[in-house]
Amino acid sequence: MISLQRVTKVYRNGTTALDDVSMEVEKGEFVFIVGASGSGKSTMIRLLLKEDEATKGDIYVAGKNVAKLTAWKVPHLRRNIGTVFQDFKLLQDKTVFENVAFALEVIGKTKNVIDQRVPEILDLVGLGDKLNNYPDELSGGEQQRVSLARACVNRPLVLLADEPTGNLDPSTSVDIMRLLDKVNRIGTTIVMATHDQAIVDAMRRRVIELEKGKVVRDQARGVYS
Amino acid sequence: MAKLDYFFRETTSGLRRNGLVAFAAISTTFIALLLFGLALLISRQVNIMIDRTTGNVEVAIYLSDPVNDQNVASLRETLMALPIVATVDYENKQEAYERFQDLFANSRELVDNVDPEALPASLRVKLSEPERFQEVAAVLGCEPGRGGYVCAAPGVETLVDQREFLDRLFAVTRVFRVGVLLVAIVMLVSAAVLIANTVRMGLFARRKEIGIMKLVGATNWRIRIPFLIEGLFESLIGAVAAILVLFALKVAFINPLNDSVQFVPWIVNRDVLAIVPWLLFAGVLVAIVAGLVGMRRFLDV
Repeated sequence: MISLQRVTKVYRNGTTALDDVSMEVEKGEFVFIVGASGSGKSTMIRLLLKEDEATKGDIYVAGKNVAKLTAWKVPHLRRNIGTVFQDFKLLQDKTVFENVAFALEVIGKTKNVIDQRVPEILDLVGLGDKLNNYPDELSGGEQQRVSLARACVNRPLVLLADEPTGNLDPSTSVDIMRLLDKVNRIGTTIVMATHDQAIVDAMRRRVIELEKGKVVRDQARGVYS
Repeated sequence: MAKLDYFFRETTSGLRRNGLVAFAAISTTFIALLLFGLALLISRQVNIMIDRTTGNVEVAIYLSDPVNDQNVASLRETLMALPIVATVDYENKQEAYERFQDLFANSRELVDNVDPEALPASLRVKLSEPERFQEVAAVLGCEPGRGGYVCAAPGVETLVDQREFLDRLFAVTRVFRVGVLLVAIVMLVSAAVLIANTVRMGLFARRKEIGIMKLVGATNWRIRIPFLIEGLFESLIGAVAAILVLFALKVAFINPLNDSVQFVPWIVNRDVLAIVPWLLFAGVLVAIVAGLVGMRRFLDV
C-alpha cells in the first residue's frame, strides 16, 4: 500500500530530514512512526501527501508513484488519503457538518450522498448531536474527532496521522486511538507519527523508529523504546 | 448543481469579507468602462457626421459654366476607365441647390439668398479605394490649388477630395477620441490591478483554508473559481453601472440637442445599445486577466 525506496530528503537549507529510508507498509496495517522531534516523521508524512518532493528515491502510495505524479493529479492522490493532524486543521467558518461535507464536495458527490454520509460518520465518532456547531465551540478531543470523520468520510485507502493526540489529554487520546483502531479494522491502512509513548505501548502495533532521518528500528507488535 | 451552489456560497462570502477593496475595484471598473464607452460613442458620432455631410461621396468634381453634356459624358468615361472608381453620378445645378437647402434647413435667410444658378454642377465620384484618390487627380491633370485642386481637363473647375477636407475637420475630434480612449485604457489597467489585488488579498486571508482544501484533495480550479467569479462579479457590476450612466448621459445631453441642432445627425439609443456588448466584453476580459494574474503566485500550495 505504501512503499518508500531509498528515499532521501534534503531541505534547501541543507538539513537532511530523511536519509536513504526504505520501508513497506502492507494493506490494512497499522504502523507507528516514532522518534524525537526532527527525526523526520513529519517530513515522511509530507512526502506521502506530495506536499513536498523527495530529493532522491521512489515513493508509492496506493500503487501510484508519487514522484511522477503531475501537479494536476495530486488532488486525486490526496482523495485516497485521509489525514489527521495535531492542530485539527478544520475550517473555522464552517460548521462541523460543513467541514466533513467539504471532503465530499470536492470529489463531486451529490447533496443526497452528502446528507446521508456525513451524519452517519459523525454518529460513528460520537458527534451526531453537534452537526451545527462551529469548531471553536468544541473541545480539542471533539475537534479531532471531526477531523477524523472528515478523513474517513470518503473511505480512503490510507490514513495518515501526524501527532493526532499531540494536543489532547491522555483520556481523550485514548478515545481517539479507539476510533483509529476501529477505522483500521474496516481495512484502512494507517500510518501514525507520534511520540506518545503510552499510546504506542498500549496498542502493540508495528513500530518504525526514526533517528536523524534513518530507520533504526522496525518491529512488529513493538513498544515505544 | 451542488457545484454551482458551492461556487455561489464561496463567492458571496468573499464579497462580504473584503467589501471596501471590492468597492474600489467596482468603482474603478465603472469609471474605466464609462470612459471606454464615451470614446466609442464619440467615435460613432464622428462617423455618422462624416457619413451624412459627405453623403457618402468621396470626390466632388465641380464643373465650369456653362456645362457641356458631351463633355460630361467623356469625363464620365475617363473616370469609369479607372479601376478604383466605383460610381460616377452627375448632379446638376437644381439638385445641388436642393442638397444645399437640405443641409442648411435651419438657416432660412442663407438659403433664401442663394440663387440656384450660383451653385456649380458636379460629378460625384465614389472610389472603391479612397486612399488612391491621387490617381483621379492625375487623370484630370489637377494640381493642388485654391479650394481643393485646380484642374487642366476641359470643363472642370476644381476637384475636392471631401474625405481629405473632412479628415482635417475631424482631426480635432479624433485627437479627443484617442485621448479619451487612452485614459480609458489606463483606467482599465488600474481596474485590473485593483481586482487582482482583491483576489490576492482574498487568497492571502484564506491561505490556511486553502491549505486545508488542498489537503482533502480539492483541485486548484475548485479553489480558484470562486475567486475568479468574485472578480468577474465586481467588474460586471461596474460595467452595468457604466452602461446605465451612458444611457443617462445620452438622454440628458444628446436628446435636447436633437431638438435644437437638427441639421447634425446625433447618435440614437441603438448606437448606445450597440456598444453594450463591447463594454461587457471589456469588463469580463479585465476580470479574467486580473484574476489569473492575482492568483498566479498561489498556483501551488
